[in-house]
Amino acid sequence: MENPFQETLFHRNQAEPCTMVIFGATGDLTHRKLIPALYNLAASGDLPPHFQCIGFARRDKTDPDFRSELETANRKYSRQTHSDELWQRFEQSIHYHRSEFQDLEGYRSLKDALDRFDQQRGAPANRLFYLASAPEFFKPILELLKQAGLNEAPEGRWARVVCEKPFGKDLTTARALNEVVSQTFEEKDTYRIDHYLGKETAQNIMVLRFANALFEPNWNSRYIDHVQITCAENLGMEGGRGGYYDTAGALRDMVQNHLFQLLSLVAMEPPTDLSADSVRDEKVKVIRSLRRWVGPEAVGHNVVRAQYTAGSVDGVERVGYRQEDRVNPESNTECYVALRLYVDTWRWQGVPFYIRVGKQLPKKATEISVHFKKPPQVPFATASMLSNSENTLVIRIQPDEGIALRILCKQPGQALIMQPVKMDFQYSSSFGKASPEAYERLLLDAMLGDATLFARRDEVENAWKFIDELEHAWHQSAHPPPMCEYPAGSWGPKEADELLAQDGRQWRLL
Amino acid sequence: MPPPQLTDIDLSRLGMEVPLPRIDHALKELWEQDRAKTRASLVNFAIYTEDPCSLARNMEMLESITAEHACRAILILNLPDGNANAPRAYINALCRPYQGQQVVCSEQLCFILEKGTALQVQNMVFAHLDADLPLVLWWQGSLTQHFDERLHSRVQTLIVDSSRWTDPAAELDALSEALESRTSHFDVRDLSWTRSHFLRLALAGCFQDAQALAQLPQIDRIEISHAKGQRSAGLLLGAWVAGRMQGELQSAGEEPVFARPDGPSITLHLQESPDGPALSSLTLSGMNVQIHVSRDGESRFVHVCAHCTSHEHEEVFPADVESDAELIGEQLSRAGGRTLYASMIPVLRRLV
Repeated sequence: MENPFQETLFHRNQAEPCTMVIFGATGDLTHRKLIPALYNLAASGDLPPHFQCIGFARRDKTDPDFRSELETANRKYSRQTHSDELWQRFEQSIHYHRSEFQDLEGYRSLKDALDRFDQQRGAPANRLFYLASAPEFFKPILELLKQAGLNEAPEGRWARVVCEKPFGKDLTTARALNEVVSQTFEEKDTYRIDHYLGKETAQNIMVLRFANALFEPNWNSRYIDHVQITCAENLGMEGGRGGYYDTAGALRDMVQNHLFQLLSLVAMEPPTDLSADSVRDEKVKVIRSLRRWVGPEAVGHNVVRAQYTAGSVDGVERVGYRQEDRVNPESNTECYVALRLYVDTWRWQGVPFYIRVGKQLPKKATEISVHFKKPPQVPFATASMLSNSENTLVIRIQPDEGIALRILCKQPGQALIMQPVKMDFQYSSSFGKASPEAYERLLLDAMLGDATLFARRDEVENAWKFIDELEHAWHQSAHPPPMCEYPAGSWGPKEADELLAQDGRQWRLL
Repeated sequence: MPPPQLTDIDLSRLGMEVPLPRIDHALKELWEQDRAKTRASLVNFAIYTEDPCSLARNMEMLESITAEHACRAILILNLPDGNANAPRAYINALCRPYQGQQVVCSEQLCFILEKGTALQVQNMVFAHLDADLPLVLWWQGSLTQHFDERLHSRVQTLIVDSSRWTDPAAELDALSEALESRTSHFDVRDLSWTRSHFLRLALAGCFQDAQALAQLPQIDRIEISHAKGQRSAGLLLGAWVAGRMQGELQSAGEEPVFARPDGPSITLHLQESPDGPALSSLTLSGMNVQIHVSRDGESRFVHVCAHCTSHEHEEVFPADVESDAELIGEQLSRAGGRTLYASMIPVLRRLV
């Protein structure tokens, strides 16, 4: 029987009763993101009824200890104000389960706990397993979930797994992990999270492109000169992050997942419908259409890698990358990368996509800028008047989410002088209400079974295939492209500027 | 001279008085005064009222609404008992800080008419809209006067509050007529209906439970507690709940009865509470089942308690929308399109 009150009441459906198990529940992600996201879902009435959450981790802890720690974190990180009244109710649904990740007994007792909740409910609930542990534990967790029979949903219900990044560190490890996942859960029940896709402005890219007749007819090589995607961070390796980062680097940490997802949304063809697979079919085509850069020469010509040296950001002195805490003093890991990419499809033939990501840059900003071609002829302007004045559409992902469009206007006065002006839309000043955090949207989607904003296996593997060729040229060729340098607080190495200068273009000034 | 029943203090809150023909020019000057201000607008939000005592309340509400919804706010006070003086106009900027650096402002225009005609009302609204943006109109007056076709043909969303209607039957007839008009394309939202949103949300959440859902056919009684003056909110909620259970109105009156093709008839019982929120509780009961949804006092949460044969369950849901400003904010956050409410007007008409 369908819930008759559900049908016409909401703009979106409410999830059915569910128990969520978080592996690695004592970690930072649980405290800063997952629990505040669940709390905010509860505060907005979006959490399913009878919801239960079990934290699975190795440390000794009681339920009250665990709840108390999470309450402190929620007060600090929750988007909405912490309400004692709501928390008292919400915390009753949180439980702690101590076990080693490699101990089958821990999974059997977890199954008992889940069955006990189902008995208390009077009916079995859906099960969502969230892998928030260190990535090396993904494999044993998945294998033991299967051995304990937890991958099988109770009749009429589902069991799903959400995997945090990094999903592998190259194609081989990603494939191996995918094999383990696919032996445990079906692809339709596997949700590979990329929190960039949960951001409001990332979701807005499809709306902007496909709901506005103004843009889509011009969204091709005939009218677009090039596209830039920038992800700048003004931090380095604070908080001990150097240990992980030095094994990954900017290419693996950011480009393979977040920036390729943004690239896909910008370059994809319109999906036939809004189902998860229709959207992901189109996104994966973009990644498969990327022109490969094979060998050190092609990589060196189209990709710039760099490390920061000592400098200052916002007036604060910063050490160089190799002097950072937990970073190998002889590290060969890039913390800046700039790429020239081509999507070899009819739509994008000859249009370069420039991507750059880096640490210790002057400010924190992620944005996509679409640079349109200049008109073939402007009768009242000389070529010099039109330099650096193309129409530009900027989609700001974070912070200060919004959209800006630069157009040319006549400057008031007797002379015919043209000036670029900016039309700027800001989410915050227009909509007032704070957007939900990415994790709120993504957790709810996982409970609802909507995988649109999650990466599919072929997306992940095709992305790694492209990245591996670059990594191979850097680390396994006889004459690898050089590791460039830039002072902390600058906009990257001069070689990255030259990458665009070769094409007669320059990076957008953020 | 100020119009009757309006004090200088009231008028001083409206902003700067400007001659009607200079409104656009004066607005431009207002923005030029301070470069730090950002003007933001997503919608035209207009209020029409004939109650001079509502001026302060409406002003406070507009300030609250514009804090979360960037709009051009237009307030029209039409005084039917005035002296037929010339219309007066005031402009203001409703500003809020943004990220501690800049100030984001919505424009507010206020018009005071005395013995205003339908044509004047239309002109006041239409001549001062932010072009290309949708018009959301909260009509606080009677729909039987001044709300003519020329006006509603330009409205995208009409907001009413049926709990304030003195003659609900006449108002519903006028509303139905307007909705059926060939030129109307507006969507109607009733704040009385919005008031029950949190109870409906909680009820829907409660029946996500398979055990509770299985007991649904047993339910034969709906009880709703409402505050004084909120009977229409209770009727709307009761009619919706019965309708979702396949109930067809069989008899109106003090305790309406809804017949079901399969299962017992459903009786709706409304009870007025001396204090508390507009809607304080909703109980669905029948053989071996009781679902009780309630909100205590000023709590921002609603408690759901479900008792079935061998099963008891409690949940907490949000109930943080109560004031008029919050209710309007809810409406402004929603996309357009004909709502469920419009389809319930015929049932409500029979109930009142």
